[in-house]
Amino acid sequence: MTPEAMDNPEALPRPDVRPAEPFAVPLPVRHRLDNGLTVLRYDMPGQYIHSVRLAIPIALHQEPPAKEGVATIMARTLDEGTARHTALEFARLLERRGVALGAGVGESGLSIDIDVAKRHLDYALDLLRQALVEPAFPSDQVERHVSTRLAEIEQERSIAGHRAAAEFWSTYFDPASRASRPVGGRAETIAAVTREDVLAFHARHVAPDAATLVIAGDFTGIDVTASITRALGGWTAQPSYQAPPARPMPDVAADRARIVVVDRPESVQTEVLVGAPGPDRQVEGGWAPYPLLGFVLGGGPTARLDALLREDKGYTYGIRASFRPRRREGVFLTSGSVRADATVDAVRLLLGVLDDARDGFTDEEVAHGVRYLTLTAPGRYATADAVADEAAALAYDGLTTGFTGQTLRDLTGMDADRVGAAYRRFVDGRWTVVLVGDAAGFIDGVRDLGRGDVTAVPA
Amino acid sequence: MPDIAYPLAARTLANGLRVFVSEDHTVPTVTVNIWVKVGSRDEVAGRTGLAHLFEHLMFQGSRNVPSGEHFSALLAAGGRLNATTWFDRTNYFETVPKGALELALWLEADRHGRLLDAVTQENLDNQRDVVKEEKRQRYDNAPYGNAMRDVYATVFPPGHPYQHPTIGSMADLEAATLADVHAFFAEHYGPNNSVLTIVGDVTEAEAFGLVEKHFGPLRPTATPRLEGTMPVLRPLTEPVRFEHRGPVPNDRLYLAFRLPPDGTEDFLAAGLAMDILGGLSSSRMVERLVRTETIATALSAHPMGLAGGVSLGIVSADVLEGIDPTVVERAICEELERFAAAGPTDEELEAAVAETERSWLSALAGHDERADQISHYAALYDDPGYVNSFLDRVRAVTAAEIRAAATAYLLPQHRAVVAYLVESEPGQTAATPTIAAEDGVQG
Repeated sequence: MTPEAMDNPEALPRPDVRPAEPFAVPLPVRHRLDNGLTVLRYDMPGQYIHSVRLAIPIALHQEPPAKEGVATIMARTLDEGTARHTALEFARLLERRGVALGAGVGESGLSIDIDVAKRHLDYALDLLRQALVEPAFPSDQVERHVSTRLAEIEQERSIAGHRAAAEFWSTYFDPASRASRPVGGRAETIAAVTREDVLAFHARHVAPDAATLVIAGDFTGIDVTASITRALGGWTAQPSYQAPPARPMPDVAADRARIVVVDRPESVQTEVLVGAPGPDRQVEGGWAPYPLLGFVLGGGPTARLDALLREDKGYTYGIRASFRPRRREGVFLTSGSVRADATVDAVRLLLGVLDDARDGFTDEEVAHGVRYLTLTAPGRYATADAVADEAAALAYDGLTTGFTGQTLRDLTGMDADRVGAAYRRFVDGRWTVVLVGDAAGFIDGVRDLGRGDVTAVPA
Repeated sequence: MPDIAYPLAARTLANGLRVFVSEDHTVPTVTVNIWVKVGSRDEVAGRTGLAHLFEHLMFQGSRNVPSGEHFSALLAAGGRLNATTWFDRTNYFETVPKGALELALWLEADRHGRLLDAVTQENLDNQRDVVKEEKRQRYDNAPYGNAMRDVYATVFPPGHPYQHPTIGSMADLEAATLADVHAFFAEHYGPNNSVLTIVGDVTEAEAFGLVEKHFGPLRPTATPRLEGTMPVLRPLTEPVRFEHRGPVPNDRLYLAFRLPPDGTEDFLAAGLAMDILGGLSSSRMVERLVRTETIATALSAHPMGLAGGVSLGIVSADVLEGIDPTVVERAICEELERFAAAGPTDEELEAAVAETERSWLSALAGHDERADQISHYAALYDDPGYVNSFLDRVRAVTAAEIRAAATAYLLPQHRAVVAYLVESEPGQTAATPTIAAEDGVQG
């Protein structure tokens, strides 16, 4: 090294942090169109790209069992041709004004996302209307997306994280429940999906009645309400429309507490996915402890899991833990990849961290997590897309970012007792564990851990 | 178009640190973003991966900051932070509530000026293990994880600074010593080889004052890297290819092209050409291969801007099961020929510009990415105002310039092909790469 490098003068005293200003999560202006569509508007000056999110609740168990995945194919073909435009024409119409349109299906339902420069908002909303109301679902495009989805299934099978997730859901949920199977369908059900299935599913489930449209951006000088009413005010449900049913309680498998090893010979790492039941956002006692628990246990290099498995042992690039709310109840998931020859010790230590957390958390850990979650909020909700994404995710539960603000306020009064109790409310030491890796290298050792039945399945 | 004009103030400290401040008071946060002009292109043979491994050590403590505290102190103050390493640079960044700006600068100054006091063999060994797991997770244990490594190795000549990937090789990571770390810091880290940008809810005067206070005393210890000194690498003149057979779910082709260096009008033209060819949903290759002939399930194209005399353009296609990959490659080549012969239509150009506008404005919507782009173009191209001029420059590109770029850089003979093919029999492994002799560097 150069002598100069050592010569840098001593640092000044470590500066204090000035208290943060109070922050209020952006709240929407809410109204409802005559056709039932709920509209949430977030005026965010300086955000020149508008983010539009449409959330349409759909229960996936409403898919015909032999056609599971039809909702996903429907979402992917909404913009592949309409009453007035071919698929290519529609793609060109979107892109000539830089309109990004995406649609997908998740556990909560259908989501359609648009990002567009402010000056092209009306143009984009009209295209959204055409995709929603006048999709043609041309046979060739449906067939193409079926074939793409089939290729995607093979790709997901080859990616350790995806393979682990698929095995997890099929182990965690009762085999009879829709949630035990992939959202996007399996090869045999996807291959059976036709244009008629897609048309019928669209007619039955895509309507304004239970839908929420979120729009965030700089509204200076424009009348966003008028634009939305003009574009979507005439959208109505079709005769076969079925309102989304109330959600049944999830059907968790009676034997979920076990270990499944997905055998991938010669893997240089083992993908680990560990889960247990968790809360939904309406949980008694409030949601606020759960994001905090995720941060304290698996939110980064300083969290308990990484402090041990990454920074001390060097077994992993990182382990993440989080409570994921679903429409009814939720799941607590911990995941990451570990060095293949350290699998047994890594699983032992990982489960140990999760189990030991039932003994509680320190005041310092809780205060650290509260500071992080509350003080990062202004930055996390600074852009139109971030606010719109949050609002849309909450809309399926009938909530707005008012819930986000309430959670942040609730966090400021959080104490270790409440956090510990919230954890113990769900975590009882019974885990669903999925390991994707070279089974021969670790399966006996994992069995010897005595953490439940161990089953091996092929990749 | 409400053309963006972000405010931008510049100052250079006596020790050479270039500082940029862009006020934005819409949200009470501030981003600090530092670009150090060192990346994997600066690594020497036998020490690939060192720039990135070093970046990890920057989080393991410095003279006044115990190991792990850089993270914990900023997280507790409401900061979100990280760092990344790439061919041309290493960047360090955090977004904090404005009341924590001075703490962020103090922490950065300590590690950028006084790191080595805290680097230990134990930290090095631990982070070496972490980086090896990062490599396994992101590259070695993923189905196409090493495809880009093979692209770099195939499209760039042996020994070229971009020919090896930033993650490095296991053997080189294993070989890195404390002495390497010390030498690397001494050569590359110091105010005279870095750019610091602050974006957010702070006045220019306060921001410059705080940077001067904490970074001003640091000595100009680095050997500053001069930009624009790497020789221009001309396009390939004959196709080269590399085939890998392995356990991948479907055949995938990567067609890589040497493009002009970033920061030039030629690069903008070549980038728009890539968008029009395969970067958009309405692009001609997508239309033909994916929608009409349905011989590929997905196709994408994108430019990857680099500073050192050459950039990279990539077209990748997932081949539909049962289709011969050579059919897909031939169709791509035909589209390359057709595009170079006639250039884009007005409608195609309009779409490529509109998509560029939206994605650029989306990217700049947050303090963090805006700061990163200011640092990026200041550090590598001495052009911090690029955030404000980029869209005008893109809109000024003509169809004729795009056609000229396609003719110069994007014809079939310019391609390097990396094919990841489904292994027909278990155990069958990679073929040997063939690299054309190029620019005096023998393959």
